[in-house]
This record gives sequence, C-alpha cells and structure tokens, in this order.
Amino acid sequence: MALLGGDDSNRGNGALYELYLSFTMDVPIKKRRWSPIVIGLVAMVVSGCMSRSSQHTQHVLRLRLAGEPSVLNPLLITDTGSSAVASQVFSGLVRFNEQFQLVPDLATHWVISDGGKRLTFYLRRDVKWHDGHPFTSRDVIFTFQTLLNPRTNTVRRSDYMVKGQPIQFAAPDPYTVVVTLSQPFAPLLYRMGMEIIPAHLLEGKDINTDPFNRHPIGTGPFQFDSWQPNQFVKLKAYAHYHGGKPRLKTVLFRIIPEYNVAKSALIKGDIDLLEGVSPLDVPALSRRPTLRVVTYDEWLYSYMGFNLKNPHLSNPLVRRAMVHAVDRDLLIKAVLFGYGRVAHVPISPLSWAYPKPITPLSYDPKKAISLLEQAGYVRRKDGWFYHQNRRLALTVLVSKGGKAGPKNAEIIQRYFKMVGIQLTIQQLEWQAFLKVVTGPSDPKPFDLCLLSWSLSPDPDAYSIWHSSQYPKGFNFVGYHNPQVDQLIEAGRLVNDQASRQRIYHQAFRLIAQDTPYLFLYYPRTITAVNRRLTGLSHPGPAGLLVTIETVGAP
Amino acid sequence: MMRPLFNRLLSGMGAILVTIVVSFFLIHLAPGDPVTTFIDPGMSVADIDRVRQNLGLDRPLYEQLWRWTAHVLQGNWGISATTHQPVTTVLTDRLIPTLILTVSTLGCILVLTLILGVISAYAAGSWVDRGIAMMTTLGLAIPSFWLGILLIGWVSVRWNLLPASGYADPLLPVGSWEWTASIAQHLALPLLTGTLGGLAMLTRYYRHGIRKEMGSLYLLAAQARGLPRHRVLAHALKNASLPLVTLLGMELPGLLAGSYMIESVFAWPGLGQLGVTAAFSRDYPVLMGILMLSTLLIVLGNGVSDVLGRWVDPRVRRSS
Repeated sequence: MALLGGDDSNRGNGALYELYLSFTMDVPIKKRRWSPIVIGLVAMVVSGCMSRSSQHTQHVLRLRLAGEPSVLNPLLITDTGSSAVASQVFSGLVRFNEQFQLVPDLATHWVISDGGKRLTFYLRRDVKWHDGHPFTSRDVIFTFQTLLNPRTNTVRRSDYMVKGQPIQFAAPDPYTVVVTLSQPFAPLLYRMGMEIIPAHLLEGKDINTDPFNRHPIGTGPFQFDSWQPNQFVKLKAYAHYHGGKPRLKTVLFRIIPEYNVAKSALIKGDIDLLEGVSPLDVPALSRRPTLRVVTYDEWLYSYMGFNLKNPHLSNPLVRRAMVHAVDRDLLIKAVLFGYGRVAHVPISPLSWAYPKPITPLSYDPKKAISLLEQAGYVRRKDGWFYHQNRRLALTVLVSKGGKAGPKNAEIIQRYFKMVGIQLTIQQLEWQAFLKVVTGPSDPKPFDLCLLSWSLSPDPDAYSIWHSSQYPKGFNFVGYHNPQVDQLIEAGRLVNDQASRQRIYHQAFRLIAQDTPYLFLYYPRTITAVNRRLTGLSHPGPAGLLVTIETVGAP
Repeated sequence: MMRPLFNRLLSGMGAILVTIVVSFFLIHLAPGDPVTTFIDPGMSVADIDRVRQNLGLDRPLYEQLWRWTAHVLQGNWGISATTHQPVTTVLTDRLIPTLILTVSTLGCILVLTLILGVISAYAAGSWVDRGIAMMTTLGLAIPSFWLGILLIGWVSVRWNLLPASGYADPLLPVGSWEWTASIAQHLALPLLTGTLGGLAMLTRYYRHGIRKEMGSLYLLAAQARGLPRHRVLAHALKNASLPLVTLLGMELPGLLAGSYMIESVFAWPGLGQLGVTAAFSRDYPVLMGILMLSTLLIVLGNGVSDVLGRWVDPRVRRSS
C-alpha cells in the first residue's frame, strides 16, 4: 500500500502511519490478518479526503476571523473582521506601505496647494471594477458624497467635516478629483485612504441595506466569490488588478470564534496564519517545523485613566505618586510574559510624532510615599494614607471581557497597597463599562478605569485630549490644558510633517507631565504563520499581508 | 374535541404576547445599544448620535415596541442592526445547520438511551449497570467546551482523522456529493460531544422508568403466570417510554436554540452562536426574532406533546 510508505511532506499520511503501527502492535495475533485490511479501508476513506485537500489548498490563503463580518461596504464597516475582508476587495486613492508611509493606490499622485486648502488627486486610467466597468472620478465623488449624506449609517462622516462644514469634492474631468477645504486640515490626507465604492452600482440605491453590502464589487486585488454565514468568506484573485495580478488564486476567511480551536486549525494546517497568539503558546508553536512565530508592535497602548474631577485625583502629586508606585516592567512580565514595553506618552513609538527623548517616571515606591506626604496626606496606623480624615480609597473599573484587564488591576492593587493607597476592583460587562465612562454626566461616576486605545497612524489627538471632548466624547477623564488644546488645533492646520512633529512632540510631553493617565504598556502582537507562505511583508502593525498580491502559497 | 384545542390556541397566543412584551423591555434594560458596541476614539459623538437616530434608537421604548409589533404583524421581522440583513434571512440561514446538529444529536441520544436504558434496567445492580451509570454521568460532568477541545486535540490534530471545526470544506462546490460528505465529517465531533453530554439524564430516566414498571403489580402477576423475563421486559418498555414522549416535546425549543457551547467550539454556524453574538452586540431585531421563534416553539412543543399524550395514553383522552 503506497500510502503507508510514508511521504514525510504529507502530514496526513505520516499521522496515519503512526496510527497503523500502534494498531498492529496492540492487536492480538489471531485477529492480525484482518486488521490491516480494515485499517487500510479506513485509511483510504480518510486519505481520500486529505490528499485531495492538500492539492486543492495550493494557491489558497486561509485566514481566520474571530467573528462573523457584519457588512462588506467600507463606508459602513465598524468591525475588524469586515475591514480585513473589505481591504482585499476595495482600494482607496492612497494606501500605506510596510513602513506606514502613504503611497499612491488609485491615484497616481497628488498636489497640495492654496496653503493646504486644496488637494488635487490625479487618478489611474487603467483601473476597472471587478465587473469590468471603468473606474473614474465619478466613483470617488459618489463615495465621499455618500459618506457626507446624513442618512448614511456611517460613523466616518465627521472625518470629512471641517468646522462643522462638509469638505467639497469636485471632478473637473474623469481622472481628476479636487478637494477643497475652508481651512487646512492635516489629518485629511490619511483619511483619503477611504476605500472607493462603485457609483454605477449604488447610485440611487439605499446604501444602508442594498444587497451590494454582502456581494461587494471593488477594484482591489481580490474579488468577492461567496459568503456562507458564520462559516467563511471566499475571495478569488482579480486578474486585472492595477497593482499586478495576485499570485494567490483564492483567499479564504474562515470564521473560528474559539481561540484554542483556531490554534488547533493552525497546527493541523487548516489555516495559514493566526494573529493574537497567546504568549503561553509561543514555545509550543515555535517548535512546530511547519510554523514561524513573529512579533510586532501595534498602534495600541494600555493605560489606567484617572478621573480628574475626583477630589483625590485632581491633585497632580497624587497621580504622580501612583505612577511611581507601580513597577511596570514587572507588570509586563506578569501579564504579557514580556511581550510589550513600558509606555510613558499617549502615542505609539511607531509614530513619527513619538517624542524622543522622554524622562520616564520610573518605579520608586519611596518617592511615591514622599509625594503623597508632600500633597498633605498622612499615613495612619492601619497602613492607608488619609487626607483630612478621608482615606485614599479608590475604585478601578475593569471590563470583564478582556484578558489582561483584571490581571493588571490585581497587580496594581498590590502595588498601591504597598504605598498605602486602597484600590477596589469593579468588573463590568463591556457595555455597562462604556455607559459609565462615556455617559454624558459631569462629573462621571468612576475613579479609575483600565482601558486601551487603538490609534490611527495620524497623530491627531483631538478626540482624546481636546477639552471640548468632555463630558461628551472620549476625553472622559476630563483633561483640560489650554496649551495642549492650542497645540492640538495647530497640529491640524499645518500639512508639513516636520512642523507637525514639533507640535505633537510638545503636546505629548505636556500631557505626559500632567499624568492624566497611568500609562501602562505597548503590547506586542504575536502572529504564527505557516512556513509554506512566501512573499509576506515585513512584520508590522498592519500585519504580514500589506502587499497581498505578492503573497504565494505553493 | 374542538373546544380544548381552541382554548389552547388562545392561551398560547396570550403567552406569546406577554413573553414578547416582557422580553422586549428586558433586553432594552441592559446597558448599551447596537451603536455603543462599536465606538472607538476615531469616531465623533455627532456621528454616533446620528446613526443612533437613523436606526430609531433615540425614540421612546414604547414607540419602538409599537413599531416593531406593527412590522411583525405585517410579516416583516425587521432588519439586523449589525448586518443590515432581514432578520428572517439571518434566522433561516442558521436554521438548517442547527437542525442538522440538534436532530442528529437527539437521534443518537434517543437510540443510545433505548439501548443503554434497557441494558442497565435488565442488569440492574451488576457491574454493567454501574459501568453505564459511571460513563454517562462522566459525560454529563465534563463541560462540553472542554471535551470538545480535547476531542479536537486528539482526534483531529493528533490523529488527523476528522476536521477540527467548521461546517463543510469551503473549497468544495455547495450541494455536491463531496460537500454533503464533508458536512457529515464535520458533524462527527460536535455530534459526539453533544451526545456524551446529553446521554446521562435520559438514560437514567428510562432505566428508572423500566425498573418502576417491572416492580408494578401487573407485571408481578405476569411473572407469576410464568411469562419469560424478556416478555415481561417488553411490556415494561412500552409503558416506560410514555414519559420520554413528554420529555421530547419539551426538548423541541432546545433543539432550535441550539447549543452555544458546542456551536462556538466547533465553529458550527447555528442559531446558538447567533443568539449569543446578537446579545453581546445588542442586535435587538435579531434577538427579538430568536425570542419569537423560541416562544412559538415552546407553545407549539407543549401543544404537540399534549396531543401526542392524548393519542398515546387512552386515560388522558377519556378524562377530558
């Protein structure tokens, strides 16, 4: 029987060979004549399915989604699963390369004029939609007008508004798009990466419910093939892609909610890539000859927010004491198993706006205690600090869903106890958590909250740090520094990166000095990938598939 | 004969109405709404409020309930707040996988119950009986998500005998013979997990029923007349099966609700997974759709087991 010869390259047959051996050794001699036949039959049935599957996965990239995508229309997308799929189907005027620089995509180049108030994009002339219809400036205008239509259920409309006024989009000819603003708005260039949807298919339709949202047609490297709810989304290569014909034939997104099951699927070879691997699984996965484990930084940091309206926390000395009280290096070792680094400012070290050098507030419990004493707090015999008979006792809100949150809270609680600060942990379901933190009340009913921010590559910090974003908005800690407000506003008005860099360096240093957050860490993402894949991009915050058209799966 | 049926129908309608009103208010009591599930710092408050308005989520609750009810009466179950698909489509998409899994699980449980119940009743007190009791209780005691992962680890990853998760091989043409075979392959592990977990209760129930019948006077008399033991057992089996019919009627809504645990471990695309995801994302229309469906089925299930009970048991028929 040929398949028992053991072709090492085929894991399936190898496993069967082991099975055969263990069976024949266990079977009593009398029955031995039968067992190879029975096992042979089983083997034939099973291998019939397996050998075929190893053939038909050639040129197929299989990825995992942790949840069902919601809609495949880039204007309406709010979840990562949908955008992972849509980013292969659609393209924007510009896109990011591996180094997170903006490069042309549907536009060949662009010109910024009139002091930053006019952007002119020149479009490629060789682009066709997946249905063969030519792509023109009409599609671009349609996309942005639909985004700006208040009836469209998009949360990106304000991205294309300046001072409450919609940005003007005009098309003087089929291959030119002119964007006119009432005042310069630097973050806009990044936002021009918005994926373009086809006017000829969607004009006059209800964008919110049109069947297009589940059968998208784009200009990207892959075209939509099929979507089986809660099973998979299948894309096939688009031969006329303007960036060159993809080397893969098919991209398959399999929906596997359970992490451990996804890990098994990776080991078994049912998926090719798994993002967000647990640090605990790194040794076992690295040992597998078929797999490669890579780590990279993301646009992400975790923090504990101080409610600045709280009488204890409004005192900057108390906040600084809390920062000195926690050994964040140890926290990273305990919670992330070392896969992360300490954060000191509200921006990722990946960004050009990351201020260097910075003077970190390091772990120093003695200093924490002296700062509290300096703030007028007295440590009593029970071990806790008091201020005018009020114990320094606070509650931290943690979302129940996250893995790291509760662990962080417990460790911080221990460190706080050592310097005489009492911390109670309150776990809430995510929705309940959001209701407390982002609710419209002032002051808000929380002391501390553990959260992470996932940032966009543009350093614009308006929604998190501008004082106008409190109490409604994401500045829920109630941060207010007129100088920072001014800098954040100025950072939006200049287009030149060197000037913006100076502005944001100063803004982020000021915020770090004010310690409105206890910045915790930048976690590293761990991804395991099958070695059969070729042409992957350099590991980075956008993952390994930035240039998916060069990825191969021989 | 018609009057009790009419009464049943009327009380059934009442039950559906009350359930719907109560559950509508209950699910809206939980903090958050479909819009808060996806906010991030890149979004502005104005956008979030506008989408909320577009979806009608800013209206008073009684108005939302009234609108929803009016639509349902016209046969329109609404549009999902996350996928913007009609709720009826969302539900029917998941119905078939759930039915395949639950009906086959129930079938396996039933067949095994009949076999194991008889064996353990016949051999009550022996090591066989104790062995069966131990194994089935173990199946009940092991959490299904853990058993599922264990099975995937051994049967699928280590021995490479069956697929780890999913419904069918995505690269096969839908509807082909190979595709059907692939569903059967994917079904094996979730089926095994569900059967092991559900076996204990029914088997113990059936064993107890048979033992009870065996001890009854009419069978004692039959034994005294010299009837062989297997003939006596045959009589006991028939009567002990009656409560199983009632139990099965009550299982009907559970059949469609599916098992969230098993469905999410094996990435099986059924209603159980849908319900839990909808709850977490506060997808009210889909949640209400699932609640409607299960309420209808509970009422229907009770009705069916009532009718079956009448049909099977002459005493119930005569007393009404």
